[in-house]
Amino acid sequence: MAARHNFDKQLKEIQQDILRLGSLVEQALYDSVQALISLDVAAAGQVIMKDELIDQLCLEIEEKCVRVIATQQPLAGDLRMAVTGIKIIISLERMGDHCVDISRATMCLSGGALTAHPVEYIPEMADIVQQMVKDGLDAYVTRNVEKAKAMCAMDDLVDFIYNRIFRELIGCVKEHPANSYQMAYLLYVNRYIERIADHATNIGEAVIYLVTGERRELN
Amino acid sequence: MRVRSMLEGIGWRSVAIYFFMLLVFFTLLNYAGDKIAIGVMVAISLLFSAFLAIVLYRRVIGPLNEVIEAARDIARGNLSRRLSISSQDEFGDLAKSINDMADRLRHTIDEITAEKDRAQAMLDSMSDVVLALDRKGRIIMVNPAVETTFGIPQADCVGRSVVEVIRNFDLDMVLQRVQATNSQLVREVAIISPEPRIFILRATPLVGNTKGGMVVLLRDISERKRMEQMRSEFMSNVSHELRTPLTSIRGFVETLQDSGTEDPQMTRHFLGIIATETARLSNLVDDLLDLSRIEERRVVHRWQREDIGTLVDQVLTVCGSRAEDKQIAIKASLQPRLPRLFGDPDLLAQVLINLVDNAIKYTPQGGTITISAQVEGDEIRIDVADNGVGIPAENLPRIFERFYRVEKARTRGLGGTGLGLAIVKHIVKGHGGRVDVKSVIGKGTVFSIFLPLEMPVTPPATDSFYLQ
Repeated sequence: MAARHNFDKQLKEIQQDILRLGSLVEQALYDSVQALISLDVAAAGQVIMKDELIDQLCLEIEEKCVRVIATQQPLAGDLRMAVTGIKIIISLERMGDHCVDISRATMCLSGGALTAHPVEYIPEMADIVQQMVKDGLDAYVTRNVEKAKAMCAMDDLVDFIYNRIFRELIGCVKEHPANSYQMAYLLYVNRYIERIADHATNIGEAVIYLVTGERRELN
Repeated sequence: MRVRSMLEGIGWRSVAIYFFMLLVFFTLLNYAGDKIAIGVMVAISLLFSAFLAIVLYRRVIGPLNEVIEAARDIARGNLSRRLSISSQDEFGDLAKSINDMADRLRHTIDEITAEKDRAQAMLDSMSDVVLALDRKGRIIMVNPAVETTFGIPQADCVGRSVVEVIRNFDLDMVLQRVQATNSQLVREVAIISPEPRIFILRATPLVGNTKGGMVVLLRDISERKRMEQMRSEFMSNVSHELRTPLTSIRGFVETLQDSGTEDPQMTRHFLGIIATETARLSNLVDDLLDLSRIEERRVVHRWQREDIGTLVDQVLTVCGSRAEDKQIAIKASLQPRLPRLFGDPDLLAQVLINLVDNAIKYTPQGGTITISAQVEGDEIRIDVADNGVGIPAENLPRIFERFYRVEKARTRGLGGTGLGLAIVKHIVKGHGGRVDVKSVIGKGTVFSIFLPLEMPVTPPATDSFYLQ
C-alpha cells in the first residue's frame, strides 16, 4: 500500500508539473501575440527569455516520467499516464518554441508600423488557439474526452482563418511589393500560430488515449 | 433534613413503597397464616408480585424507555424532541433536565449556525476570490467569487490543487514559496484566462493551526491599473501641451536677448507672439484648474433649480466682450415658460461658456451665435449654433476627446487648449444628460445638450475625467 501511495504521489506530481508547464506556454502564447500586435520588442524579448524556463521544466518532467517507468514498471492506465505525460510535454515544448519564433519575428518587424490589414485577423486566430490550448489542458486535468474532441474540432476553424490570412497576405505582397519583407514575416507568424493549434490537437489526442486507450487521429 | 435529602438522593419513594408492601405482606402472613393453606399464600404472593411488577413497570421501566428513546432522538440531532413526563418524582426531574439540556443545546447550535452563516455570507458576498488551502496545497474552501471571476464552478475546486483550477505559473510559484517559507507574500499577478486581468495576490499562512495551510486572496486591480495608465498618459499629454507654448516663448525671448531690440517692428512682432503664447498657457492652466475642480466633484452634489435665462445672462457677461471684439452677435431664443434646469448652476454655466467661447473662436467676424432652448419629451434641449467654419464630418466623433484638435495649427493659433469640449461632455454626463453635434463645413456648427427635466433617482457618477 505504501508503495502504491508513493507511486500515486509521483504521478500526481507529474500531472501538476505538466499543468505548470502548460501555464507557462499559455502565457508565452498570449504575450508573444500581444508583443507582435503592439510591436513591443521588450515584451518579445521576455518571451524568448522565459522559454529557457519552459525547456528546463520540460526536461525535469521528462526525467520524472522516465523514472516512474523505470522504477515502478507501471501497467495499463498508469503506463498510459506516464507515456501521455511525455507526449504532452513534447507538444507544449514545441508550442513554446513557436512562441519564441513569433517573438523573433516581432523583433524583426519593429521599427515600422504593421500596415497589412490581414494583421487584424491574427489576434482573432490567436484567441481561438489560446482557447484550444486552455481546453486541451482542462480536458487533461478533468480527463474529459468530450472536451478534448470539441477542442480538436476547433482546429478546422483555425485552418480556415490561416488560409484566409495566407491568401490576403499574398494579395498584399502583390499590391505593395515594397512591403513584402513585412508580409513574409507575417506569413511566418501565421504559420507558427497554425502549428501551435496542431500541437494543441496532439494534446487532445493524448488525452483521449490516456482515458480510453484508443489512438485517434483528430488533426 | 439531612436524612430526607439523603433519601431523596437514593429515590425514597420506590424504597418506601417496597417496604410498605413488604409490611402488608408480612401482616397478612401473620394473621392468616394458620387459617389458609400455604398454597393460597403462594397464590396471593404470586398475585402480589405480579401487581408489584406492573406497578414497577408503570412507574419505572415505562418512563425510562421513553427517556432512552428521547435521548437517542436528541443525539441523532432532533433537537425539537421533548419529554412529556410531568410527574413529581425522579423521572419528572430527569425529563425536565433532559428537556433543559435539549433547549440549551438547540440554543447553542442556533447561535453557532447564525455565526457561521454570518461568516459565510461575508465570504460569499466578497468580490475578491478567497481560497483556503490545506498543507498539501489542496483547496479546502473557496468563495463563489471564483465562479464569477474565473468561470470555474465552486464545487469543482474543492479537493484539487490551485494549479489544476487557476493555471498560472506566477501564482503557483508564490504559493509554493509561501508554503516553503511560512511567511506572507503579496504580489501582482497577470492572469490571462478567461480574460487578461491583473490581480493582487495575498497569500498568508494559517496561524494558530498546527496543520499548516494558507489563505489566498485574489483582488482584481485591472481597473485601477488602467486608470493609472490613463492618468500617466493624461499627465504626459498635459506636459506636452504646456511645453509647446513655453518652448516658443523661450525661443523668442532668447532671440530678443541675443539680437537686441534695434528693429522695433520685429520686436513688436516677437512680443506679440510671446503675448499670444502666454495667453494660451494661462488658458491651459485655467482649464486644468477647472478640470481638477470638476474632478473633485465627479458626482454632482449641488442639485438645485436654475433658470436658463439667468445662465444665459451669465454667459453673455463672460463672453460678451470677446464677441464684441469680433463683431459677433449672440442671440438667445428661449421657449417661453421653460421649466427650470436641475443641476449645479456653476457647472452648467461652465458648459454654456465653453460652447459659446468655442463658437466665437470658429466664427468669422460679423457672424451670429444663437443659444436656444426648448423642452423635448422629458428633456430640455439647449442648442448653441454658429455660422462659422464648421467641422469636417470625419472629425465629429472625436472632438469630445481630451486634447483632440481638428487642425492642430489652426486651433493653437486661436488659443484653444483642447480641453473645453471634453469638460462640457464630462459635466453633462455628470448631470445624467448627453451631448450631440451637427456641422456643415462653411455653414456652421450646432452643439446640443440634453438634460433630464427631473433629478435622476440615483445621481449619475461619471468616469474619472482621465478615462474619457
